[in-house]
Parts: sequence; structure tokens; C-alpha cells
Amino acid sequence: MSESTGKRFEIDPVTRIEGHLRVECTVDADGKIDDAWVSGGLFRGMELVMQGRQPADAFYISQRICGVCPISHGHASTMSAESALGVTIPNGARLVRNLIEAAEFLHSHILWFYTLAALDYVDPSKAIEADIADTHALAEAAGTSGANFKAVRDKVDALIKSDQHSIFTNGWMGHPGYAQDMPAELHLIGVAHYLEALEMQAEASRVIAVMGGKFPHFMTSIPGGTSWMPTEEKLDDVLFRLKRVRDWVYSTMIPDTLAIAPFYKDALTYGAGTGNFLAWGVFNNEDLQMENRYLPSGVVMADQGLTLQAADPDKVTEHIEHSWFEGTSGQKPSVGTTVPPTKFPGYDVNDKYSWAKAPRYDGKAMEVGPLARMIVGYLNDVTPVKNIIDSTLTALGAPGKPEVLVSLLGRVAARNLEAAVVADWSLEWVTELIGAVKAGPVEFFEPITADTGKGAGLWEAPRGALGHWMNVDGGVISNYQVCTPSTWDLSPQGPGNDQDRGPMEQALIGTPIIDVERPIEAARIVRSFDP
Amino acid sequence: MAHEDRAFYDQLADRGVSRRDFLKFCGSVAAMIGLSETMVPTIAAAVEKAASSGLYPAVWVNGGACTGCTESAAQATNPDIASIVLDILSMNYIETVMMATGHDADKALIETANSDQPFVMIYEGSVMTGLEGHTLRVAGKPSLEILEDIGSKAAAVIAVGSCAVDGGWVRSVPSVGAENIPTNPDEWATGVSQYFAAKGIDTPVVNVPTCPVNPEWIVALVIDTVVLGGIDENGKVTDAFVKKLDAQGRPSLIFGQTIHDNCPRRGHFENGEFVYQFGSAEEAKGYCLYPVGCKGPQTYTNCPIVRWNNQASWCVESGSPCIGCGDFNWVDQNAPFLGRFRRVGLGTGNAGSGFNPAVVGAAAGGVVVGALAVHGVGMKAAGRIGEGPATEPMKDYDRKRAAKGGDK
Repeated sequence: MSESTGKRFEIDPVTRIEGHLRVECTVDADGKIDDAWVSGGLFRGMELVMQGRQPADAFYISQRICGVCPISHGHASTMSAESALGVTIPNGARLVRNLIEAAEFLHSHILWFYTLAALDYVDPSKAIEADIADTHALAEAAGTSGANFKAVRDKVDALIKSDQHSIFTNGWMGHPGYAQDMPAELHLIGVAHYLEALEMQAEASRVIAVMGGKFPHFMTSIPGGTSWMPTEEKLDDVLFRLKRVRDWVYSTMIPDTLAIAPFYKDALTYGAGTGNFLAWGVFNNEDLQMENRYLPSGVVMADQGLTLQAADPDKVTEHIEHSWFEGTSGQKPSVGTTVPPTKFPGYDVNDKYSWAKAPRYDGKAMEVGPLARMIVGYLNDVTPVKNIIDSTLTALGAPGKPEVLVSLLGRVAARNLEAAVVADWSLEWVTELIGAVKAGPVEFFEPITADTGKGAGLWEAPRGALGHWMNVDGGVISNYQVCTPSTWDLSPQGPGNDQDRGPMEQALIGTPIIDVERPIEAARIVRSFDP
Repeated sequence: MAHEDRAFYDQLADRGVSRRDFLKFCGSVAAMIGLSETMVPTIAAAVEKAASSGLYPAVWVNGGACTGCTESAAQATNPDIASIVLDILSMNYIETVMMATGHDADKALIETANSDQPFVMIYEGSVMTGLEGHTLRVAGKPSLEILEDIGSKAAAVIAVGSCAVDGGWVRSVPSVGAENIPTNPDEWATGVSQYFAAKGIDTPVVNVPTCPVNPEWIVALVIDTVVLGGIDENGKVTDAFVKKLDAQGRPSLIFGQTIHDNCPRRGHFENGEFVYQFGSAEEAKGYCLYPVGCKGPQTYTNCPIVRWNNQASWCVESGSPCIGCGDFNWVDQNAPFLGRFRRVGLGTGNAGSGFNPAVVGAAAGGVVVGALAVHGVGMKAAGRIGEGPATEPMKDYDRKRAAKGGDK
């Protein structure tokens, strides 16, 4: 690393994410980021509002942590209540929850790749230069779906050339950081599918609405099972919609990923982050055990290479040296506290600079998310995960080298590959549930009788490992703590200060920046975590 | 049909929206903004015209939000959100979707607010008043400064979702009595209209509660204000538009009736056919969810009519009781959500605070409670329902019917 130039930039607000985030970086003489600070901007008090309420209330309220992944929060919360009060849900409820969760994963991954991330790789000002016939030919050659490319080009062209640019206002169009050799036709395909994706993310949401009442913020996975009683007719509706989404992921999202990725191959060389990965696992099998989930739990530590360890929730601690909270640092979530200061201490990257706590596993900052799940799944020999990663590595010219996935491009690809795997599983689950409902009465709910206990719901949101810890005393919640995937990935420095940066901070360091006034490369790193 | 009209429908068709879907949508808009069905062609023509002329500037600002209302807006279907932001509004600032980021995003917001053209501000999330506004920092400062600056320049603010209306669930944090949290909820989280009142900002605010907001309502309000002239060419909200709002600033045609009034399960309520246990035969039959906590009788929204996610379903249809997310102070007012209707009308919550929606909500709720009590007495006389605790046991009537194998 060359000497710091003292050049500094910040991105605030970071847009196209969920929530409020500030990123500050310094750049060295080679134009690479040499230090980074990630600041969460919002504290509302979710963990506090649960105190004294009934366990089922937490299922509803905790979804309001995140409007993009409310399903995962609802499930983690309801599982923490079931774990605290000793209830095992019936198999019918397991399948319904897997399906609702799968629909959210599909919704979220489609929304992320197209609505949130695509404009970092696809430039609308290049798309309007595309030749329409060539665009159709390229789409066919790339194996991706067609669209009314002319209408899209004309629409975007008119908008860019008008005096009102709507969502494109002040965007970094024409930025030299876009792949200069990527043809205009591929930019246009990307923009067309960017618009088409809006309908597909909405279709995935409708699956949730059928099974859970509405999206965002669903209603049915209450502690004990589900209040949704499927009929064959409703399940046919779910199957039809899931098939439509699944087919689109395979016909459009995966080929788009493979078509665009080769133009950003340099993104395989930076953005690695900690190299430590944590997954609690998601999509239950019949035994409901986290290590046996369809995407299983597991831990990978950078200093051990790509080898798998069991995930132990007892090794999680949360630190506040660089957060604006008060109280004891290093507590386990099961006994943790969340105490705001009485006076705001000020934003200072050398001291306190975030509303996010710094979670550590066995003292280490851990990356969570699709990349963590795909690596853990790969090392666990989960067949569809292994197959799709091996074929992608071959397509990227790195066969048999899963370690190249530990990079910006790998993080992006892992999310889209996961969507394909989950889409296939969702069809299996709905078919299984249709068979069960046809065969006779299916149980969906097991009443809770206990009123005291301590539990944890360890699960995955689309953006990574998620834990809710609930203590119940005499029927009401006596303590509630949440450790979100964003807390893991957006963690500020931990107790080891600048030797103990969070995963996103570490991933930013080393990233080449062409123009510090318009640091598109840093924005790509930040968004690759789907914060 | 004029050339540009055809282009409009072609674009909708590309996104899977037929002309018929669009006209149906215009019919639903008409009902929500107080126009008769005969006005549907007029609405359709106005939207087509808006789509072929200049875009109306708008900004969407997130306060203490979960982004669920933006997400919900992205689920709008006929027309979809792309039609709104490419054909009707120039959404120059919307953190979750906009291309620009950092300073350039911030600049787009400020330039829109400072231009000569009137603009609409949509505000999502709680107004975060805690720690002098530092509980939410955006662009290096408390976001309260952004709300005050941009909000005071807007033609109108549409406060979407219960958080923006009155602070939502965040407003319930102080009631817990946690360490270092102020006891006055106004000092932690509040709604846009209360905050404006406290600061003397006179920009009109339209309140659109529920958690999240239903996208159909946003689209209807956008059409009513910027397409059909609810905001005039000088950027002034017309008296005719204001007349359509109730005392709490909500569009009264959307929030004028309870969920119970329009619930498809209402017949089961009248017949005393209730769900007492999730996963039961009664739940499978779609009976009334009142004993397991349904807040439909006190919650004023048209959810049973517009439903959610392009009419795919809605809460009660999925077998869940309504949790009253459209109520004022909805968490303190309605939790425990699976407990039978017992705190309504008691005036819990934030008596004494500025705008004080809890009292208004409680007063309105009180009438409904009274009506239900009368109704309940009649049903008790008929031997069909008794006075029950928060979660009451199954009644003899239901037990006998279940023993016979339930309704055939």
C-alpha cells in the first residue's frame, strides 16, 4: 500500500439500499481506498419496544425493522418465541414458512440485482445508442429474454433528453468506471430488464400476499405455526406464480448475470472483505435443525482457508466502542442491552461514528449473506449449490477455484445463483404441500402452553444471518435483542479499533477509485452487500 | 385515438397491463377520490394526457423508515411504479431507487426544492425527534433539518404509512420506560403534521396511514393532486381537495369506513361463527376472527375492498386477524394483537401531546365498542356469545357444532 494522500470522500446518503448509510473513505497515491468507515444513520429502538409485550406481538412488530426483508424478521422472531416456550411446529407449517421465505428471497434478489444494483453496471446513456436489431441478436446469442427494446430505448432517450430526469437525475451517466468495452446493446438489454424486473419482484411478492395476507409485512407465521390454511386452489395459484418467477430467473436473470460479468472481471480482484463467513442457515428440513437446513449453518474462517466449522451461537458478542450506545461492550445477545446516550456524542471516525453495534463471532468480524451461504453450502456438498457454482466458475474461466468468489464479483454472482437454487426448491415444496393437502388433513398450528423461557431464532434474511433472542417471563417479553445481517456486514470497528474493521470497511480498502468526486467503485462494493 | 395515447397503452402493455386493467384501475381511483363511475373516461384521459406531457416534480424523503412504504409502492401494478416515475412524476429524489448517490443525490433534492416549479413531497417513516434529531442522520446532519427545509417549500406533503402519520410503532418506544429514552413520545418520534404544527410550517399534509401504506392509495392521491388539479398551477392545494380530507387529514373515502363494515367474513360474525383457535376447522372454513383479536371493527381503512399486492389477498383473507396498523398510535393501541379487543376506548397512549390522535382514535373507537357491546348483548340473549376474557374459550354452541363434524 502506498502512502495516504489524505484525499477523502464520503457517500452520504448511500442510495439504492434499505435504510440510512454513510460511507467515508481515504484514498492513497495509487488511487486505492486505504481506509474506510461505515456509519449506520438511524436508531429507532426496536428492541426496546418489545419489552413487556406478548411473544406473538414481536412477530408483527419486529418485521418493521426492514421493509425489504420483513418475512425473515417475522420468522426469526416467531422461532425465538417457539424456542423459548418449547413448541415444535407441524410439518405443514414448516412447508408454508419455507415457501413464504423462498418468495421473499426471490423478491429480494430480483429487486437487488435490477432495481438497486444494475445502474452501477449498466449505463442508460449508453443504452440509448444501441441498435435495435443488434440488441435482439445479442439477447438471443446471450440466451437471455427479449423485450420491446425499441420502446425502452425511445422512452429512456426522451427522458434523458428532456428537462426532467426523474429517477435518473444527477446519476453518474457516462462515468468512465462503466465497462468501456461493453456494447451499447448489452446496456439496453440491462435497462429493459431493469424495468421488466419490477413486475417479477411484484409477482414474487404476490406469492407472499396469498400465503401471508400482504407484502411488505405479512401476517400468518405466528408462534406455533401458521394461521394460513391452504386450499388446493390457493396452492395452484402459488405454484403458477412461483413457476413464472422461476422461469424468469432462469431465462433472464442468470443469463444477464453471465453476459455482463465478463466485462467486470477486474471485480474478481478486489472487494474480498474479511474472508470470514457466517451462516445460521435457512429453509428447514423436517428435523428443523440448523445444520440440516436446505442452506445449512456453518462458519468459514479466513485463517483456516475454505474449511467448514460448525456455527455456535454462543460465540456471538456485540461491541459498542465505536457506536453511539452506552452500556457494557462485548455482551452476548441473550443478555444484551441497547441503551442510547442522553446527549449525542458527535460523529467522529476516530471515536464513535455509527448507530450500528459491532457484532463479533469468536472475536472476529464476519461477512454474512448469499456469498456466505453459497460457500457454506458448497463446502457442505449441497448438490444444487455445488453444481451451479462449479458451472459458473467454469464460465468465468476459473474452474475448480471457489476462492475467486471471495471478491466483489463473487458476492454479486452468489446472490443471483442462490435465487436460481431457491426457485427450484420452492417448486418442490409447493408440490409436496399440494400432495399433503390432497392426501388428507394437514396440521398447521400447535398451541403454546408454556409462559416462561429463553430462546433464540437463528435464521437468514436474503442479505444474511439474522438472530432474534427472546426471554419470556410469565407470558411477557423480559428481554429482546436482534442481530441483523446489516449489523454484521456494516459493523463499525470493534474493540480492536483499526485492526478490527467491519466486513464492508475491509472490502472497501484496496478498491481502485477513478474519480473521488464520483466514487462509483466504492458504491458498487457497498451495494454488493445489499445493505 | 391520438398517437401519444397509443404509445401510452403500448408501454403499459409491455409491462403486462391491458387497457382493460388500466380502466378498472381508474374506476378504483374514482371511488377513492370521490368521483362517480361516469368520470372514469375523464380520469383515463387525464392520465394519458399527463403521460404525454411534462412530468410533475416530486421528491420522496425517508425519515425513520424501514423502507416498507417504498417497497409497497414498488408493488403497484395498474399502472406500475415505472409508469408513475417515467410518465407522471419526475421523482427527482427517492433514496431507495434513484440513480444518483451521495452529494449528487442530495443536490437533486435541494435543486428540486429551490426551483420555481411547484413540487410534491412524499414522506415515509417517523419524524425522529430524539437526541435533537441525531437519532436519524442524513447527509451529515439531523434529518429534521431536511424535513423542515424541503417540507416548507413543497406544495403539499403526502405522509405515507403510519410512521409518517403519527410516529407509528417508534412512538411506542417511550411507553416502555427504557433507560435514557424520554418519557414524552413527542421527544422521540412523531408524525409530519404534528411536527409541522409545532414548527409553524403551514404546508398542507395528507395523512395516509397503515403499515406499510397501500400503493393503490398513493397512486390515487398522486392522480388526484397532480393530474386532476388537486394542486393548482400555482402550487396551491385547492379547497375542493381539502374538503375530501377528514379532521385528521386522511382522505375520507379511503379511511371513512371500518374494515368490519366491508369484511367478507362479516356474515360469520352476524351468525356467531367464530375462530377460537388457529389451525382449527373453523379457521379452515374462514369464520370470523374477532375472538382471536381482529381489530377490524375499530380500524378505518378500505383494505377489504382494495386488498393488497394487486388484489392477491389481504390480512383477514389469509386467516389473520387485522392488527389495526391503520389506527393512530397503533402498537400501544392494539397490542396484544391476538388478544380480544379490550383496550379500545380506554384512551391509552399519549393523552396531552400536541395533535393527540390517540384521543381522536379512541373516541371513534368508543362508538364502535359501544355498538359491538349492544350487538354482543343481543347475541348473548340468543345464547350464541358470552362476555369473554381477552382470549376466550370456545363456546358450547361451537363445540357442539364441531362435535357434529362442523358445517357441511
